[in-house]
Amino acid sequence: MSKHSDHQALVPLAFIPPGQEVRLASLGDEIDPHQREQLTAYGLAENRPIRVLQQKPMTVILADEVELALEHSVARHVWVSR
Amino acid sequence: MSGTLSIPGTFLLVGHPNVGKSVLFHRLTGAYVNVSNYPGTTVEVTRASARFDRDSALLDTPGVLALPSRSDDERTTVRALLNEPTRALLQVGDAKNLRRTLTLTALLAELGAPLVLALNMHDEAAARGVSIDLAALSEALGVPVEATVATDGKGVGALTRHLTDARAPRRILQYDKAFDAEIERVAAAITEHCPHPVLAARGLAILFLGGDDEVEAWMRQHAGDRFAGIATLRQEARARAGGDLPTLLAKERTEAADVLARSVVRRSIRSTPLLSQRVGQAVVHPVWGLPILLCILYLVYEFVGVFGATTLVGLLEEGLFEGILNPAMTHFIDAYVPIKWVSELLVGQYGLWTMGMTYALALILPIVTTFFLAFGVLEDSGYLPRLSVIANRLFALIGLNGRAVLPMVLGLGCVTMATLTTRILHSPRERLITTFLLALAIPCSAQLGVVLGMLGSLSFQAVLMWALAMVGILMLTGFLASKLIPGRRIPLVTEMPPMRLPIFGNVLKKTAGRLKWYLVEVIPLFLVGTFLMFSLDKLGVLPAIIRAGEPLVSGWLGLPPEASAAFVMGFLRRDFGATGLFAMSEHLDSIQAVVGMITITLFIPCFASLMMMVKEQGVKTAATMVALIVPFAFLVGGLFNIALRALA
Repeated sequence: MSKHSDHQALVPLAFIPPGQEVRLASLGDEIDPHQREQLTAYGLAENRPIRVLQQKPMTVILADEVELALEHSVARHVWVSR
Repeated sequence: MSGTLSIPGTFLLVGHPNVGKSVLFHRLTGAYVNVSNYPGTTVEVTRASARFDRDSALLDTPGVLALPSRSDDERTTVRALLNEPTRALLQVGDAKNLRRTLTLTALLAELGAPLVLALNMHDEAAARGVSIDLAALSEALGVPVEATVATDGKGVGALTRHLTDARAPRRILQYDKAFDAEIERVAAAITEHCPHPVLAARGLAILFLGGDDEVEAWMRQHAGDRFAGIATLRQEARARAGGDLPTLLAKERTEAADVLARSVVRRSIRSTPLLSQRVGQAVVHPVWGLPILLCILYLVYEFVGVFGATTLVGLLEEGLFEGILNPAMTHFIDAYVPIKWVSELLVGQYGLWTMGMTYALALILPIVTTFFLAFGVLEDSGYLPRLSVIANRLFALIGLNGRAVLPMVLGLGCVTMATLTTRILHSPRERLITTFLLALAIPCSAQLGVVLGMLGSLSFQAVLMWALAMVGILMLTGFLASKLIPGRRIPLVTEMPPMRLPIFGNVLKKTAGRLKWYLVEVIPLFLVGTFLMFSLDKLGVLPAIIRAGEPLVSGWLGLPPEASAAFVMGFLRRDFGATGLFAMSEHLDSIQAVVGMITITLFIPCFASLMMMVKEQGVKTAATMVALIVPFAFLVGGLFNIALRALA
């Protein structure tokens, strides 16, 4: 997978179909600052690979062998590149 | 250890949530801590003397997601770091996720205290194809690194040897030059005005610049009026940072941890997901999640409601107590105790033995035992965090997020324990709503068992009616509370630990711990309650209360007048009250049984949980809750009485 660069379209994590692997681009400002810190602490840092496991009832991802569940209201503001 | 000069001091266990700190603590001290397969089990620090050095204490701290501290758990841990005579830190990390572990190490290393790193759950990492070059990592950090599997004791021996000769770690990152200059400026001020006996000024400066409230409070206290000068340095640093300084510093640590982790971790490609991962995904699957939940609920009902509350209670109450023990006891007392009121106090209608002990041991014990066993299995399997994902949408309606499912489900075991566990919730608003709902509409296992036993023997419809009433009231009052209590709902972001087959020994140990806690609390209260009932009866107050309560209990709720006694008992313990109703169930028709159980479930929680509410929320809030709950319970009970009679 190529490294994320500016010309690549960014998509909200909430719209990625299950089974795909993406890379994190940025965490949107709409996310509460504390929750943003929390996500960074969970391992959601720039360019990290993320595997989307499911989208319903919540967005479930695998990042560094750790399964995380995110509500759509948060996953909508997590920007990723394919 | 023999031959080693013992130095008093504290070993601090620190690490992320759910990495096995408490299991390791148990291994290192022999002391029991409540251990669960969900994050946030340790809500307070636990201290015990170390097995390998009886002069030293070992402290188990709550898990930290990241430092500087933001949550209560993190603040508790920073307080321990600041106030303990730390001899060494034992960082426990998840071997599956070294990068995250090292992000925390990057900060702990700056604090300068001797450190040992335990990479726990090594077996799970290996099963996922993750292997770590421990020697290279140890070399890079300059401290001992040990792979452990705390649940079966692997690596624990080596770890204790390392702990006694722990060293200060090497720094794993060089901050950006401009930031480094800011850190050094603040560190110099700390060294001058408020040096810490154990922790390095540089580490404290990083926490302070990152906005750690606990470090700030500590500095304020120790630097006195010179604190203002240090605060000015921080303001200037923030102004010069060109962005949010805490975020920028955290980002540098994450990147440094990533670089180090990549250099020592090897991943083998695995084509098929592990069985535990597939099970873990199935239970939160949009289609399969709900049927699996219903199956689990059915199994729990069969085990607790049918086997515990019917079969075991039958054997113990009718067989053992009423059949053998109580007649023998009565015979013995009658023969040897000539004073009538004493014998009545022991074996009469409100006798300490015939009522207090019989209720506690024959009716309640089998029910709580089966509930705690079932809860222990669910807890150990890793199902509960997944339940919070399934329940999230439902909880969104009442202004909460799925995390609240953990105290709520634990509340079905013991509301007192659950009220304490509301600390895992992130905002005071969530804690307030959850505490209120626990007090109002969540029956504890003892009460649940009594309800299921009583209504279950009537009909399935009666159980369903009661359950729907409870869920309806929970949702309605929760919805209203979320509208009335100011503040914003926090969306759910949660880690889901791997599903695993429950370890029977763990489940038994946890059940034994909880039962001990429960019995120590319940038996004295049952005896006090029985004594109170006996005194009220003897002083002629009970008949007066029954008469006074008659319009409410008989008129409004449609129950026999004697049910008033059950409500008086309910003031002491809700399940005690419910048991009182259970004992008179032969005289109740099905509507009376349902109305009685709805009212007593909503009724104020037991004395112990009331005390816990006061402790967690303050006297004013707790009193307000009680003032709302008691009239509400009778109002709803009466409305159900009217509605059910109209329908019948």
